Amino acid sequence: MRISKGALLIVIAFIAPLIVELRTVLAWVNVELTLLESAVLGIGLIGVILVWALWPQEGTSESAG
Amino acid sequence: MNIHTYEKLWLIAAMVLIVGFIATITYGSVGLGITMVGDQQDTVEPTELDDERFSDPRVAQVGENEYEAYVTAQMFSFQPDPIEVPEDSEVTFYVTSRDVIHSFSLVGTNVNTMVIPGEVAEMTVEFDEPQDYGVVCNEYCGPNHHNMEGMVHVVPEDEFDLTELDAEAPDEVETGDDIDVTATVENRLLDPIETTVTLEIGNETVSEDVTIDGGETDETTFTVDSAQLGEGDHEWTVTVDEHTDSWTVTVVDELEDGDADDDADDESNENTDAGDDTDGGENGTEDETDTDETESDASGGDDE
Amino acid sequence: MTNTYIESFPAEAKVVRAAFYSSFLALAIGGLFGIIQTLHRTGYYRFMDSADYYTVLTAHGVLLAITFTIFFLVGVFTWATTTSLDRPVEDIRFTWAWYGLMVLGTVLTAIPIFAGFTDSEMSASVLFTFYAPLQGHPLFYFGLVLFVVGTWLAGVDWFRSWWAWKQEHPDERIPLPTFMVLTTTLMWYIATLGVAAAILLFLLPWSLGLVESVNPLLTRTLFWFFGHPVVYFWLMPAYMMWYVLLPKISGGKLFSDPLARVVFVLFLILSVPTGIHHQYLDPGIAEGFKFIAMTNTMFLLLPSLLTAFTVVASMEHGARQRGGTGYLGWLKALPWRDPVFAGMALAGLMFAAAGFSGMINAGMNINYLVHNTFWVVGHFHLTVGTAVALTFMAVTYWFLPQVTGKALWSRSVALGQVVLWFVGMTFMSNAMHRGGLLGIPRRTAEPQYEGFEFEAAVGSVGELDAQIALGGALLTLSLVLFFANVVGTALNSRSDDLPANEYADTLSGPSDAPLVLDNLKLWTAIAIVLVIFAYSFPLLSIIERGGLFGPELTELPVSIGLGLEYLWVTTVSTVTAAGETAITIIAGVSS
Repeated sequence: MRISKGALLIVIAFIAPLIVELRTVLAWVNVELTLLESAVLGIGLIGVILVWALWPQEGTSESAG
Repeated sequence: MNIHTYEKLWLIAAMVLIVGFIATITYGSVGLGITMVGDQQDTVEPTELDDERFSDPRVAQVGENEYEAYVTAQMFSFQPDPIEVPEDSEVTFYVTSRDVIHSFSLVGTNVNTMVIPGEVAEMTVEFDEPQDYGVVCNEYCGPNHHNMEGMVHVVPEDEFDLTELDAEAPDEVETGDDIDVTATVENRLLDPIETTVTLEIGNETVSEDVTIDGGETDETTFTVDSAQLGEGDHEWTVTVDEHTDSWTVTVVDELEDGDADDDADDESNENTDAGDDTDGGENGTEDETDTDETESDASGGDDE
Repeated sequence: MTNTYIESFPAEAKVVRAAFYSSFLALAIGGLFGIIQTLHRTGYYRFMDSADYYTVLTAHGVLLAITFTIFFLVGVFTWATTTSLDRPVEDIRFTWAWYGLMVLGTVLTAIPIFAGFTDSEMSASVLFTFYAPLQGHPLFYFGLVLFVVGTWLAGVDWFRSWWAWKQEHPDERIPLPTFMVLTTTLMWYIATLGVAAAILLFLLPWSLGLVESVNPLLTRTLFWFFGHPVVYFWLMPAYMMWYVLLPKISGGKLFSDPLARVVFVLFLILSVPTGIHHQYLDPGIAEGFKFIAMTNTMFLLLPSLLTAFTVVASMEHGARQRGGTGYLGWLKALPWRDPVFAGMALAGLMFAAAGFSGMINAGMNINYLVHNTFWVVGHFHLTVGTAVALTFMAVTYWFLPQVTGKALWSRSVALGQVVLWFVGMTFMSNAMHRGGLLGIPRRTAEPQYEGFEFEAAVGSVGELDAQIALGGALLTLSLVLFFANVVGTALNSRSDDLPANEYADTLSGPSDAPLVLDNLKLWTAIAIVLVIFAYSFPLLSIIERGGLFGPELTELPVSIGLGLEYLWVTTVSTVTAAGETAITIIAGVSS
């Protein structure tokens, strides 16, 4: 764990406004995301964060690398 | 007082932000001319509204490309509805309420004002392209608030007019009498219009070209021989541009007094009696009590 | 032996607890009505007539904006004065008396509102703003008056405590929490003069048939004289929590006591002379008056921006005490696992977003675009609905053990609850803001029209509706978790292992604050002068134009005669009918 469980939960929650607002912001530059695409993007982002957070930090675990 | 350096910087930045906001708003008012709905207009009596603006809610032309729209809001409608104005025009709305607080808001634009009983909201709007705008009341005004809506149609220049049509004809004539259909056409624009007044009755169509000066009223009378129509009910329609007015004239064998109406109905299929020349055609009253002058109003003027 | 609030002040803890429970009851009913409205407006589920929507909306507004917030406030303020002055209230019977008066006022106001669901003639579906000529039953106005008088007496109670304390500590600075209570109370006294005048001079006599008519613009202006500062009345307890509790929970100290005092003084002086910014689009008020209100409003950003700095700086200090390092790395060291901290931090974050939409509202001419649209609803669900409500719910997890002596039922559920509120409100409020930009109006049962459709810039109106319904559902779930925790905690047994009743120390203490900051008379005088500047001319002009009692009006819905017998009969039939309706609604929701 790179961050505490509590902090991880908050970071994931913070993805919600990012994704919701991203759609509006991208429309400004003529990139129109559908609802599904935004949802997939959000879940993908959460996945990346989870992997980052749960990946054992170097030196603290043998299984890294 | 001991204030941390960072906090001082933050304080200065905050003040700059605030002054910047006030400056941009001031620029919007002074530079761009976005004025506020204010106290320019005198108060009115909401339950009466008998001044010449609101007793007849309408659009009026006051200059080249300049119009005024007198609008009333009441539970749960706007008057007039729809409001029609031409493209590339400058329209000043005067809006007031007959009952509670409403609003007059053009959907998707910044045309938006509260409508308060006793007060008149004044707002000048520039319309460019032809487009239809929805109007909503966005202040809660009672149990049917959600059904209160209207429309503003911005129409192409050549489709716009401020023509008022009111046509009159007798309800009943005797066979052989002339039927006089009088079309009163008012041109509320400042410029003259050239148009055609057309009457359709039975299978006949007659028309007459007219030129009406700005602010003037023209009367065109068509005379139709009832004998040619034959006995029975005949619908007639007067058309001027998109405005129509229609009603029905009944041609009867013989006009009878008051209480004989039932008999007349029963006998409507009798043969025509061409020689009868009793003068009964003028029983249509000519009084202009019809205050509800919505454009292209289809009610028969002299029915009552 | 612990050192909780209930140990130190057992009698006061009972009042505070009663105030909290009253506020939670209002939150429960108001929240239930919230989800009913969400589903009705968006068209997902309509089980009632659209006319009843406005009764639901009235109850939602009054119960949440007035009852929930203010009952919580009196609880927090009573805690703050007793704790920071370290003395019990002067007379606990007086404390119970104002609490009782507030309860009575709420009940009397609720009766005619809920009667709106029945066939009875009594109704008060006039919404939280009760704009004349819409007329509510006299009981509605009367109940509001009693409630406000209750809050006035509560203020007297806090002042009594301070005066008594001052006798014993003549040379000491006012402790910060008490200072915040006193300035906020003074602001409230000035602000409520507007609504008191509106109701006592005009609306109540009018609803009783004693006067023929009212001037709608005058009563509306008097309402907003009160209606804007009431926003700060909700917000000040939340601010107080951010100043005195959040730094403590973060593990550190408050960054600056003097700046905290400056912030509350600014709120005292600037809260009231801004109300006309709710009336930018009112005919009958000159543009100049609107400009003055706007300038005051913009300067009101200053205390909020200062708060943002102090709160973040205090959090950083706490994080560094806990071993946090780096430019942003300290964020990781904050106690995110703690629902009290996480809830307040998320509420603060949302309040920053609310500040931006608020700046749009405050912009006199930009306001044309958003006035009375769904945007505004999105805005205040971020302010009162999150900055205030979420902070209140988060600190409840700290207060409940203090006032009950029992450990919190579940910290994990609590953390889930505050996070769920944040996510739910993100969805709902975002869609409301965007809907408002399309021109979708607020306060309407069916924002679907026959002659036209709203054109979405991004996505579709259907997607916005879905987003609102999703957000509303998450918020409802969050409320259920909150109440589970409140009930679960109440059912717990007493614990000996609870945190002590303490609030945050300061880095820069009161000795750094100039003495003049504590001169409440001076600030009150300045506040009154500013109010006179901002309001006397607009009010005089409105009266001159429309008359004190306005033009002839048609009363709506009906004027109601007031025989005692009639009152009794309607009250009894209403209470029974309201009970039945509540059951129907609950059955309708669960079916």
